[in-house]
Amino acid sequence: MEPEAAVDFVRSLAREHREKDVDLVLERQESLAVRVHKGRVEKVDQSTARGLGIRIVNEGRTGIAFTERLETHALEQAFLAAKENATLLDPTEVVMAEPPADIPHAGALGVYNPELESLTVADLEAAALEMESRALQADSRVTAVSRLAVYRSASERRLVSVHGVDYRQRQNSVGGYCQALLEENGSRKSGSYFWNQRHWDPAAIATVGETATKRGADLLGAKPIAGGRLPVVLDPDCAPDLLSFFFGSFSGEAAQKGRSRLKGKLGQVIADEAIDLEDDPHRRGAGGSSYLDAEGIPTRRIPLIESGRFANFLYHIESARKEGTQSTGHAGRGYTGGISTTSHNLVMPLGNESLDDLTAIPEKCLLVTELEGGAGCNSLSGDISIGVQGFWVENGRRVHPVDSVTLAGNFFDLLKAIRARGNAYQPNLSRRFIPALLVDGLVVSS
Amino acid sequence: MLPKTTIEKILELALGRGADFAEVFVEESASAAIELLDRKIDRIQSGNSFGIGVRLMYGDDAYYGYSSDDSEAELLRLTENLARESREGRRPDRLRRQDLDDRHLVMVDPQTVPKKERLDVLRKLDELVRETGSDIRQVDASISEKKRSVLIANSEGLWVEDSRHYSRLRLSAIAEQEDGPQSASETPGILGGWEFFRDLDLESIAQDAGRRASVMAGAGYIDGGTMPVVLGNGFGGVIFHEACGHPLETESVRKDASPFAGKIGQPVAQAILTAIDDGTIAGHWGSYNVDDEGLPAQRTVLIENGILKTYLSDRLGARQVGVARSGSARRESYRFAPVSRMRNTYIDRGSNTVEEMIGSVDLGLYAKKMGGGSVDPATGEFNFAVQEGYVIRKGKIAEPVRGATLIGKGQEVLPRISMIGDDLELAAGMCGASSGWVPTTVGQPTIKIDSILVGGR
Repeated sequence: MEPEAAVDFVRSLAREHREKDVDLVLERQESLAVRVHKGRVEKVDQSTARGLGIRIVNEGRTGIAFTERLETHALEQAFLAAKENATLLDPTEVVMAEPPADIPHAGALGVYNPELESLTVADLEAAALEMESRALQADSRVTAVSRLAVYRSASERRLVSVHGVDYRQRQNSVGGYCQALLEENGSRKSGSYFWNQRHWDPAAIATVGETATKRGADLLGAKPIAGGRLPVVLDPDCAPDLLSFFFGSFSGEAAQKGRSRLKGKLGQVIADEAIDLEDDPHRRGAGGSSYLDAEGIPTRRIPLIESGRFANFLYHIESARKEGTQSTGHAGRGYTGGISTTSHNLVMPLGNESLDDLTAIPEKCLLVTELEGGAGCNSLSGDISIGVQGFWVENGRRVHPVDSVTLAGNFFDLLKAIRARGNAYQPNLSRRFIPALLVDGLVVSS
Repeated sequence: MLPKTTIEKILELALGRGADFAEVFVEESASAAIELLDRKIDRIQSGNSFGIGVRLMYGDDAYYGYSSDDSEAELLRLTENLARESREGRRPDRLRRQDLDDRHLVMVDPQTVPKKERLDVLRKLDELVRETGSDIRQVDASISEKKRSVLIANSEGLWVEDSRHYSRLRLSAIAEQEDGPQSASETPGILGGWEFFRDLDLESIAQDAGRRASVMAGAGYIDGGTMPVVLGNGFGGVIFHEACGHPLETESVRKDASPFAGKIGQPVAQAILTAIDDGTIAGHWGSYNVDDEGLPAQRTVLIENGILKTYLSDRLGARQVGVARSGSARRESYRFAPVSRMRNTYIDRGSNTVEEMIGSVDLGLYAKKMGGGSVDPATGEFNFAVQEGYVIRKGKIAEPVRGATLIGKGQEVLPRISMIGDDLELAAGMCGASSGWVPTTVGQPTIKIDSILVGGR
């Protein structure tokens, strides 16, 4: 059946089974991607997928089930599975939200551009071929373009509850990425770059190719530096990536479950006094913007760090009730899973320095432009141990590219050791707005 | 799962629009998970995934689309959208159903097991972990089960159906001492049914997780630097998986984006090293009867006595690179086109003992249990976290150390493996790449790497 009819059918099941606390999430995703290799289209992927997740709360016990088949029998099975699962769970204090009085239409968030829907395979193909051509022509040391695609994607999400919540939000984006491989004198490096926006700009997408190549070329001939405790500048791509391994510590649920070192530290100094961090769910056009969270609670700005002091945990309904407080509107949920705690758009205010100015503040520093995975970043302890690449900088001048080094430290020490912030965020669509950071106290090993 | 006539119409339409090859992949999966956290049932959920993937190939160009709407009209529309040419083509071969010799039997159907038995397993684990030490603060245990039924049909007349049952336990223990909390985990799994949990040695698993969390909570930080490393068996194989296995997939090789491209027949490791990727091992986590292109799983020797023998390939990769298909085409679900992926990948057993390897190191690291990691297959650059590590001092295992990360390039580290133990062990994991997350087994005996960069403080 059609997705909208499936929603009505589940509502009718709730009435039939006299379940008073039922909500559901309906998601629909569409994407189109073109991959090119050596001057021709190699792969075209296009897809439509949908799924429906059901949550039933019965005397505080929550049951969850989902189905991607939107047919009578499958929906009934999912409903009964959720109902059965609810009988097995230990009771909690969860209650379902009543519909909010008045919220703006999701369109006001600026997260959907209908013009992108008309982009065809031919449009994406032309941009991808131009991107590859630019990547190959940008440097004679390019040996291969190992990954390259141009894509558009769209999603629609509807949250419906028997209490009357009915919220629908559409979101889309278009983008491209490229990884170029370069080799010189035995040094083999890859350079990657991507562009992801909500407007179509083939000229901008084409430049991703040459930027990827340039990033790889800049790292050719990289070598380690002497280890020790050094000033480090994390560029505007790496700073949010590194910090995001640890943002789960701000979840009230994580603290209740013994998984956050911020437990018991509300009001305490956890960062340099110049540091503020907030979650802004209404930031226009940002990746995590929404007027309602996944439980139907209206979202609002929540400060997390104010002048270096830990200001708030993020809560959904259950974790808030455990704490004797109100939900902050930070429930997250996909159609396949249950409620979790999620941030919307994390924002650290900009500083005053350009990236070059930041690297010129200390006499010598390591500028980090690539993080190599995150397996050594322990969200529980806050420990950081991660391979990085970048540049050795002396008196503001890049002396040589650096690889085969690791950074070590602790997230909670790092927050206190931020000495300056950059004056720009990375330019792509995102839900993390963290500028470049100059940090003291990290240990470099080689 | 999908009417034969609908599949025939899709294949006819595809070839009628000039495709050289067309394939239909139908998948229906039922999954369930139950989690005990802090002595309470924290999560219980179940679900059903369903969808159809259609792939058209024009020479070496692949056009892939999928939909979770199984109506014939929708699937023909999808195929029409994927088709690139209007020239008339040939007709597909008549579909011939293949019967499978199922070598991964389910002995106890999970559907016959009451949910209470699952809760009993989780509660027992919680209790056993807490008994391992007074510093245990948190225990998180979960059971996840999935039955994945697939149908693969193509324009060459292939029609094959396979069913894969996965059962997995995840156990995490958190211990806390003065320097804060540390976690340790155990994640065994099989391709099979509930018999896995009935045969599992819960006491030993709980003991391992609890002991490791406590040891690491009391550990100091390692001084980083380049040093010899003795890498523990089992999950230690994740390094070979990431740093050598991925670059040995034709998906990397065919784009000249692998340091192993063009090196078949050449030495890439010392002669003591043989490495295998085997999708046929009965009941193992990374096994299957047929791959996601419908080809029977195989045992593939990748490196034999230090010489590179072949790559792991899918249909497209085998043709472009010029190797035989190895039955390694895999995908997470109908949402992904298949590409070459690993299955059960391991370094074969050698002749050294762990004591010999430790005894040969003056100052280094014993990475007894590895955590996760990642690699750039194009350059071979990798990084891995050490979950349980000890300093080796003058040939003896000394104090435990935390915060260690191993960094290097696969093709450079491989020749530095100088000793290989006789204690081969395999371990279940999940591997993420361009066709999504698939169950894979990593494995090795304990090995000694003469030098590698260890990140620390």
